Amino acid sequence: MAKPASASAKAAKAQDASYLKAGPIDVIRHRWVYLGIALALVLPGIVFMALMMMKTPNHAPLRLGIDFTGGSILQYGFEKKLSQADLPSVASVFESRGYAGPVIQIQHPKGLLGDAPTADKIPQEAAVGTDLSKSDAQTGAELGADRIQTVVSIRTKQLAKNDQSVLEEGLRKRFGAITLLQKNAIGPTLASELFTNGLLALVLAYFLIVGYLTFRFQFDYAVCAIIALVHDTLFVIGVFAILGYFYHVEVDSLFVTAILTVVGFSVHDTIVVFDRLRENTRLLFSKKLPFGHIANLSLNQTLARSINTSLTALLTLLSLYFLGGDTTRHFVLALILGIATGTFSSIFIASTLLAWWRERQEPNRLATREA
Amino acid sequence: MPLFRNPRVTLLIVMALLIAAVLVIVKKPPTLGLDLSGGTRLTLEAQPAKPGEPITPRSMEALYKIIQMRVDKMGVAETIVQRAGERRLIVEIPGEKDPEKAKARIGKTGLLEFRRQGKGADGSTTWVSTGVSGRDLESADVAPDDRHGGWAVAFKLNEGAATKLRKLTEELVVHHEPMAIFFDNELISSPEVQEVIPTGSGQITGTFTYEKAKEMVDVLNAGALPLDIEFIEESSVGPLLGEASIHQSMIAGLIGLALVLVFMIGYYRMQGLVASMALIVYTLLTYAAYTLLGVTFTLAGIAGFILSIGMAVDANILIFERVKEEIKLGRTLGKAIEAGFDRAFPSIFDSNTTTLITCALLWALGTGSVKGFAITLAIGVAISMFSAITVSRTLLHLILGDNSAINPFLFGLKPSEVPAPRGAASKTSAS
Repeated sequence: MAKPASASAKAAKAQDASYLKAGPIDVIRHRWVYLGIALALVLPGIVFMALMMMKTPNHAPLRLGIDFTGGSILQYGFEKKLSQADLPSVASVFESRGYAGPVIQIQHPKGLLGDAPTADKIPQEAAVGTDLSKSDAQTGAELGADRIQTVVSIRTKQLAKNDQSVLEEGLRKRFGAITLLQKNAIGPTLASELFTNGLLALVLAYFLIVGYLTFRFQFDYAVCAIIALVHDTLFVIGVFAILGYFYHVEVDSLFVTAILTVVGFSVHDTIVVFDRLRENTRLLFSKKLPFGHIANLSLNQTLARSINTSLTALLTLLSLYFLGGDTTRHFVLALILGIATGTFSSIFIASTLLAWWRERQEPNRLATREA
Repeated sequence: MPLFRNPRVTLLIVMALLIAAVLVIVKKPPTLGLDLSGGTRLTLEAQPAKPGEPITPRSMEALYKIIQMRVDKMGVAETIVQRAGERRLIVEIPGEKDPEKAKARIGKTGLLEFRRQGKGADGSTTWVSTGVSGRDLESADVAPDDRHGGWAVAFKLNEGAATKLRKLTEELVVHHEPMAIFFDNELISSPEVQEVIPTGSGQITGTFTYEKAKEMVDVLNAGALPLDIEFIEESSVGPLLGEASIHQSMIAGLIGLALVLVFMIGYYRMQGLVASMALIVYTLLTYAAYTLLGVTFTLAGIAGFILSIGMAVDANILIFERVKEEIKLGRTLGKAIEAGFDRAFPSIFDSNTTTLITCALLWALGTGSVKGFAITLAIGVAISMFSAITVSRTLLHLILGDNSAINPFLFGLKPSEVPAPRGAASKTSAS
């Protein structure tokens, strides 16, 4: 038992009974419960992804925004108060010009224009903005955020040249003064390119992470981490499939960004647990403890860290969700969902799977060593 | 891996960096993306002028220059024309909320053409090209139109084209044929040619307003587009929306930051206080780095920044948890802190590397706001490692002192969790 001096401290630590005692949760013993919960988290999403694939015209599991399909989104501020009952009338303006089936939604003017100090800035902007003063008869209304009663977003296929002004004229005739708040239009070539690039980025991210984890840890660690990542990705996509099914929520390029950020965050979490696991495996090697026990130990040692890290990220995200603008709300929601499930998966999926894998191999390994 | 062995030196460096950061923040306003400043962004893709004709780097360069000139002529400050990929240009015009207007202005082929009458395939009369065009234009100017009142466009062709035009007009005068002037494939006028145009100088009349004439002159002087273009993406945001968004994001960011600070101090006590200081250093340095590097703030970018504030404490949480463990194992304060930092480092390094991998992918494959998000996140990760490791470590050593007794309360520990020091001997050996 002649050990180097530095190792003796570790050995002392290893012999410390309190150090070896598993923490508050026994993840490994109840692994099937947790894996079951993991499955239950993604199953509804998968069901709705299948439903969406039957429902959407391009057979996508999600409602794809114009980023991926091409088209135009126009956002107008109406000075008249519009209700759901007015929407068919808005639609008919578009349909009469050959834009069948526009998707029209009423948004909250408060959420969009907020309580920003716009009122006192209006005179200055009117004086400076030469372009604005030139526009047309709507000049006064164009700057009056306070006069906007309803914000409506309209999604159609891409508008042909000059059609926008014709459509706006049609809307004015029926509803009075309107202001174009925002416009986005994406052509079909760019849209399909964005879609391919988004998927490519996701797949590449998976491969690079597997590569890196195999290099820093071992292949089985990498595989278990990726399964956890796929779980997180499926969960977030699933929730958006459900939101798309019931609330017509669409995904755009920012959604891909959110997914990739979640992947980064989730692997972050998993790495911390794995790192501890690897350290403990070395430390406790002589103890001949079952791998599951070491995994449990490592999980509990990193539990506070895992939860606190997610908590701080969620604190900032929740404040963004409730106080930030409408534009990024879905993006932030995807991040919130992903970070929450990312923490869950690194605690309950990645290491339980790894322990299961290792323990299936362990008897053989022990046998060969004894032979 | 302490950057500098002497904590006082580190502290001085951090202070200097902070002062520099504050100076940058005060002096240099951030670059706001169009979704915040209001304005129009267009992505255009070059198409061959004639089917089958290749798009060469040279013709793209020419297209880029001409588009840039046209955009500059719009008289808006801080317009941007950017190459994107082999065939694309991105044009950003702050303050312009009507994309149609910008498109009309930028998308003009800008080709002035002289055409004569000819017979179409079905025998009807059409206008056919004469080969004399604005491609050979030397200059164009606005001139008063004496005959009709209003304004006209005076032009001058170069020598070769002048000769061609002279020959053409000689012919047309004899046959009493009209000549048509097309601009952007649009008939501007079709006067009967009454006299030969000898020098290549002439006027295009058509009862233009001054603005219209000026616009034509600008477009003519900038030159005809060597390639056709197609607008494949456009987005515009009114100024009101952008302003409201900045306001909302700022409040959200500050409240998010405050929540994180409260949580960290509540949970990690003294260490949390140190993390809070490191986090404020992080926030200031990162913001200064963004402005200094000219990163464009978009809504997504700001969301990324705010998220990074929440994630930047990750390294500190890892370290502090480890320090607490080391204390529970009976280490002295100085050793516990050092061990906490050293042991947590591999995890911090590995996990940040994977984040950087995804950032690189987002940057390589993303466009516009996605690229912006990737850059902001990557800068954030790099600075967070610096602030969490160097700044926190230095502050912990300086504030607590390495040999002081461990006060359980300051670490959020129960008194029973802190073992009694192993004896005076080990205490001195730790220094």
